[in-house]
Amino acid sequence: MSYAGYVTAAYAVFAAVLLWDFVAPRIRIAQVLRAVRLLARRDTTRAQSDAQELKR
Amino acid sequence: MSNMNPVVRWFHQLGSPPYFDRFAARWAPWAFGLGLATMAVGAYLALFVVPADYQQGDSFRILYIHVPAAWMSMAMFALMALYGAIALVWRIKLCEILAMACAPIGAAFTVITLATGSIWGKPMWGTWWDWDPRLTSQLVLLFLYFGVIGLYSAIEDRRAAARAASLLAIVGVVMLPIIRYSVVWWNSLHQGQTIRVFGESSMDASMLPPLIWMVVGTKLWAIGSLLARARADNLQREAGKDWVRRAAGVPQ
Repeated sequence: MSYAGYVTAAYAVFAAVLLWDFVAPRIRIAQVLRAVRLLARRDTTRAQSDAQELKR
Repeated sequence: MSNMNPVVRWFHQLGSPPYFDRFAARWAPWAFGLGLATMAVGAYLALFVVPADYQQGDSFRILYIHVPAAWMSMAMFALMALYGAIALVWRIKLCEILAMACAPIGAAFTVITLATGSIWGKPMWGTWWDWDPRLTSQLVLLFLYFGVIGLYSAIEDRRAAARAASLLAIVGVVMLPIIRYSVVWWNSLHQGQTIRVFGESSMDASMLPPLIWMVVGTKLWAIGSLLARARADNLQREAGKDWVRRAAGVPQ
């Protein structure tokens, strides 16, 4: 194949950008859901410690 | 609601954040998968089946990713402006989300267009870059995408940010005919229109099938990406709601 290096580089750029396009929203969704879980855990822990304080 | 046309009812339901989340989570992987499979067929035909160009040799095979990416870069901008206009006029939250989700996808396709064009230009034109009207207007399109993304990130109120960025997207639509006709209006190094949807293309018919596969594949991919990105933004905006806590697996 003539110009093989240029053709390979162009298709590699295409694949790399599409890979980023595929991964980026997945990372963001995972981050949001993790933040929601952590917030819920913090709220639960706080509610439990408040309840214990009231019992004393 | 029960007497409503099913299509209209579906559109109303789609506007509901939890319904959209389920819809996007279900269909985004299908669009990505179909897009990838279609592009794989297109790339195989482009790289191994169609004959080399008699003047450009094998470097013309770059066209099969450059042209679909260029079309997508413009199509995503038009779609972003359309969603932005709907969001501004009817204040539909989902349209704000979809408009803003178009920006990084369009920017990605613009980067591909510029990079692959540059890689093709080096052996064919003898330079990586030229301040040619088509190249320059495509670069301005990338800056407009960055402007929309930046404006959306810079304003804290998500709805106000989306409306401001939508306005920029609508104004930026003026770039689309400039890019499209730059090769006609100015003396351009970039080649003129080769492929016509209406009328005869100057590209030989034997070279067209991979291009059609890649055009369809990039469109399917963009649908998957749009759904995935809109889902992420939708989840972030609704993070405090019960349905998101359920989606995150938080015990109720």
